[in-house]
Amino acid sequence: MSHHLFLLSPSDTPIYSLTHYSTKLPQPTSSSLSSNLPTWSTSAFAGTLTALSGASNATQSHHVQGGSVRMGGGQDRHVIQMIANASLDVIEDVMRKESSMYLKSVDKFNEWTVSAFITPGNMKFILLHETKNDDGIRSFFHDVWELYLKTMLNPFHTAHSPIRSIVFDTRVRASAKKYL
Amino acid sequence: MATTSKQYKAIGEDLWKSRTEKINSELFALTYGALVVQLIQDYEDYAEVNKQLEKMGYNIGTRLIEDFLARSSLGRCSDFREVGEVVAKVGFKSFLNITPAVTHSAAPPPSSRPSSAAQQSGVPGSSFILTLDENPLAEFVELPDEALEGGLWFSNVLCGVLRGALEMVQMQVQVEFLSDVLRGDESTEIRVTLLKYLEEEVPVGDD
Repeated sequence: MSHHLFLLSPSDTPIYSLTHYSTKLPQPTSSSLSSNLPTWSTSAFAGTLTALSGASNATQSHHVQGGSVRMGGGQDRHVIQMIANASLDVIEDVMRKESSMYLKSVDKFNEWTVSAFITPGNMKFILLHETKNDDGIRSFFHDVWELYLKTMLNPFHTAHSPIRSIVFDTRVRASAKKYL
Repeated sequence: MATTSKQYKAIGEDLWKSRTEKINSELFALTYGALVVQLIQDYEDYAEVNKQLEKMGYNIGTRLIEDFLARSSLGRCSDFREVGEVVAKVGFKSFLNITPAVTHSAAPPPSSRPSSAAQQSGVPGSSFILTLDENPLAEFVELPDEALEGGLWFSNVLCGVLRGALEMVQMQVQVEFLSDVLRGDESTEIRVTLLKYLEEEVPVGDD
């Protein structure tokens, strides 16, 4: 059960992204930005990849079991980003009508649900997840929002530059572990 | 008349409480941060930025000392050790509402005899170290890697303030940062070393 978080600036430049594997199940969280997804997670993409690439079932299952994770990881990353980008349009539509910050799930793509959170400064936090976890996700978004506020107060941080702070990264991961 | 450390603390506390114009600490930290970032963009050399911050602090310090002495109505300090106490417990407290810890050290004697405490008062070379456990200037700040490598002392303005203020009371001092939590060190430390007493008095009146 993995989650992907993206923070986007008002001009839609990516500020931060994180892949997190849920610790609700007793599994080690080895999240890193360029990590390749382990096999058990790749199976989640089997449905998505099949639909997209049109490959045969046999080939897909071979990929899943054969452990050619490297290739699977690369494709999955693109898929995730594509889903995230596609949801931006939907988010903008909903944004105009909805006045609250937490927009629940704005989009659904095969097994992935996209939830969004819009800050008053028009920063978009997008979370891709498979399971339904509204409360946890809402608390997680609020936590990320607070961490983001603290980062914004750092005079060395400029509004649209990527967040490279390790402290921020650690805290977001800890918060993800707690709520997701 | 020797004022004990407790009395200094009480004086500092009173001064802080009696001040009516206080400002939001976030605003203060943000303003200072913006200032430092702008200096970095203008000069692009961290050593130069340190120097400029110190110069700015010097100008502030020369003016600040008047306000401080007027409000606190403290007399002349008997020795450099007392200077350290007053600076930490009254000065920092009344302006920044923090009380750094003070560690005094005697001057290294010219001969190789072990230094005795009695030598310390007023001997050029004696110093004290202020250890700040919190720094209101550096709230929310995280230094980027280039600043760390370039050797930026973020709160260098404090060094200038101390130098300027003490120079106005006839002490020439050297003030420098030893460590800073922003740079990953354990604590923030400033060392103030007495270089010499300035003897020339400004002639008063029309002699």
